[in-house]
Amino acid sequence: MLHRRILQFLLIYVLGLTSLLFIKYVLKLSDYVIPGPQGLSHTVSCVFVKYFFDVMNTLSVAVIGHIISVCLATIVGIIGRLNSWAGSFVKVAAYNIQAYPIVAVAPIIFILMGDGISSRLLIAAVICYFPLLLSFIGILSEPVRDIEHFYEVTGRMSWRLQVKIRVFENMNKLATVIVGSATLAMVGTIVAEFIAADSGIGYSIRIALYQSDLSKVLVALFLIGICTSLWLTCLERIGYLIQNHFRKG
Amino acid sequence: MCKHIQKLCFIAAVTATVIVTGACDKKTGDSGKEVTYRLKWLFNASVAGDIYADVNGFFAEQGLDVTIKPGGPERDAIKELELGRSQFGTASADQVIRAVSKGASVVVIAQLFQTNSLQWIYRPDKTRVDTPEDLRGKTIGITYGGNDEAIMRAVLAKYNIMENEVQLFSVHYDYTPFYEGKVDIWPVYRNTQGIFISEKLSEAAERTAFFDPDMAGVRFVANSVITTEQMIKEDPQTVRKFVTALLRGWQKSLDPKNEEKAVAAIHQFDKDTSIETVRKQLSVTKRFIKPSPETEIGKIDADAWKQTENIMLEQNLIPGPVNVEKILKPFYNL
Amino acid sequence: MLIEFKDISFQYRDTDTCVFKDITCQISGPGFHSLFGPSGVGKTTLAKMLARSVNGFSGEIMVQQIDNILYSYNLERIPGWACVGEHLTEITRASGEENRRDELIKSFGLRGCLDSRFSRLSMGQQNRVNLARYLLQEFDLLIMDESLANVDEITKEKIILKIKAMFPGKCFLYISHNLAEVAKFCKQILVLRDSAKTPQMISIDGQNHMKGKPLDKKFLERSMLEIVHAS
Repeated sequence: MLHRRILQFLLIYVLGLTSLLFIKYVLKLSDYVIPGPQGLSHTVSCVFVKYFFDVMNTLSVAVIGHIISVCLATIVGIIGRLNSWAGSFVKVAAYNIQAYPIVAVAPIIFILMGDGISSRLLIAAVICYFPLLLSFIGILSEPVRDIEHFYEVTGRMSWRLQVKIRVFENMNKLATVIVGSATLAMVGTIVAEFIAADSGIGYSIRIALYQSDLSKVLVALFLIGICTSLWLTCLERIGYLIQNHFRKG
Repeated sequence: MCKHIQKLCFIAAVTATVIVTGACDKKTGDSGKEVTYRLKWLFNASVAGDIYADVNGFFAEQGLDVTIKPGGPERDAIKELELGRSQFGTASADQVIRAVSKGASVVVIAQLFQTNSLQWIYRPDKTRVDTPEDLRGKTIGITYGGNDEAIMRAVLAKYNIMENEVQLFSVHYDYTPFYEGKVDIWPVYRNTQGIFISEKLSEAAERTAFFDPDMAGVRFVANSVITTEQMIKEDPQTVRKFVTALLRGWQKSLDPKNEEKAVAAIHQFDKDTSIETVRKQLSVTKRFIKPSPETEIGKIDADAWKQTENIMLEQNLIPGPVNVEKILKPFYNL
Repeated sequence: MLIEFKDISFQYRDTDTCVFKDITCQISGPGFHSLFGPSGVGKTTLAKMLARSVNGFSGEIMVQQIDNILYSYNLERIPGWACVGEHLTEITRASGEENRRDELIKSFGLRGCLDSRFSRLSMGQQNRVNLARYLLQEFDLLIMDESLANVDEITKEKIILKIKAMFPGKCFLYISHNLAEVAKFCKQILVLRDSAKTPQMISIDGQNHMKGKPLDKKFLERSMLEIVHAS
């Protein structure tokens, strides 16, 4: 699983890089527009270690933000599954608010909360929160009648049991959504750092852009891709182990 | 077979329509030579002369059909020149020197800002920065990676102020830390943002002042007009005509007799800024474009360029000297 | 024990199709009763009305001496996180029905399934597990909607006779498409017909075969013929 994902990323990266170099040499562009191999290798030797730690910094914020949003989506999803006014309200609110572009709200978050870790965390969490929430509400609101019926008619049903049944029956869907939203958490954190933070790889990319240094951006993209692939593989593995633990018969 | 021919005819008709529609989409009517001019930033008072020349048909008089495109954080006129999307552009000196150090064949044909409008705003009632030495112990806002970082580091180095004697604060687009007093001095473009912030603080009965690195002897060149080496070689006539029209636009826009016309022209492109603010911005911009009545608009200050190159070399922003004087091709020599 | 349907009429929302039209009938006493009829005629709907999970009908369903009504059907599943044995233990923990559970496991032939996940069982095994767990609950009337589908004939007979022996005082409403089966094991067969036919429901006496009781083949044949004619 891991080597396949990394191989896929490397293939895409190398293809992209080759295309850029091809354009550079065909159009005879300077290193200022597209860096050459020499410039790239020099940049790698200069910034690789620093950028690696920047990516780790971003990744840690993304992971925490992702965990927060999964917890939040679970709580709201549990409320949203109710047939009461609270459930309906949460559902309607979630469907409406999710259409709001979080990046547009990000500047307000930075003004209110400053440019420290809390803003990055909040934006990362919020960016991956809505897709998660919609899936969680959908899954937790959808009865699994063939299983729930027995508990309903025998009066054994509790909200915990209901949630457990629905989560268990939709484990594959949930795992896919969680892995998918993990990418969004990473993207959200980078965007947040790009807009206003003072650390992380998004911040480094912003500085590189100020300096019109595409080679730094390419190194950053490489590290982001590799680290994100590793993280997604980890998540998939965890999901697989959880499912396997319950399903082994 | 018949169906196949019909299909081919249909595809040909659609292709022809697309081509014709695309062609019609282009500006028609102007028979002048088409030229694109990419600005460094959005339309505002900093490009008063560019707008004035366009609105008043100075380019057309020279037989040019110029499309002025606004810049922005992700726009880079130098890259556009190399890719052939623009023929002229505006760029700051650090951009030009960086590009030259990486092999770009860019040349400077006019220097619009004789002094850099990048200054640091502060509240004189709370913070005194009468001399560069007063920076010691202050919290100074800088944009990491931006040219204000290079300028401030040059000032600090020139006056032997160690980095641990000041506190550098990473600034972003919002000024809240400055308004809240967390940062003592904050980088602004004196002729645009400087006006806005001063107005705001003035509403709160607070006075503002500016620290000017130029006054401290650090000359870091700002916006200049650029084109490519190839353009100068292959079409010097167009370059000459373009610069002539552009500088005429600047001369006229800064002439007090034309103030209202210039303000109206800027406001036409920058509707979000009030007329009154535009007027103030234009007045301050004049100080940077034509600091004294004798100053020739667009004159290239070679010494300032060399100093800019030296600052960048000292701060390792470029790997080696670029001999910047080689790329300065003043319009009057063309 | 009495269940009485009085003038039941029903049609689904947003449709003009009448499912039931003035159905009137009675089921009395404990034992096996059957609801029989072709697919789509409304057997499940009527059973759900009785179990009070379908409302919005006109007429009245009256029950006497029946407090707990359970409705079970053949597509039910048990949660995938537990194996069959764990699930049956879990649902009998509070009720103290361990002996009955073990007896049902033995007579339903489920001993070999206890350590398996429900999803790994055959459909017949799944249905037997599902029925067994309902039989371990408190009930007065158990509606068995195709609850023994996919179970072979011999095992099915064994199970029905065991249920009759174990729960002589309980009432069962057995929904099946198997003509011989309902005629043989049920004491009353309610044949539900298309709403265009009048009356829509006809009651026919069945054999009500019990363990140790000889089978009256002539009576059985006559019942089967009557059911065929009625439907």
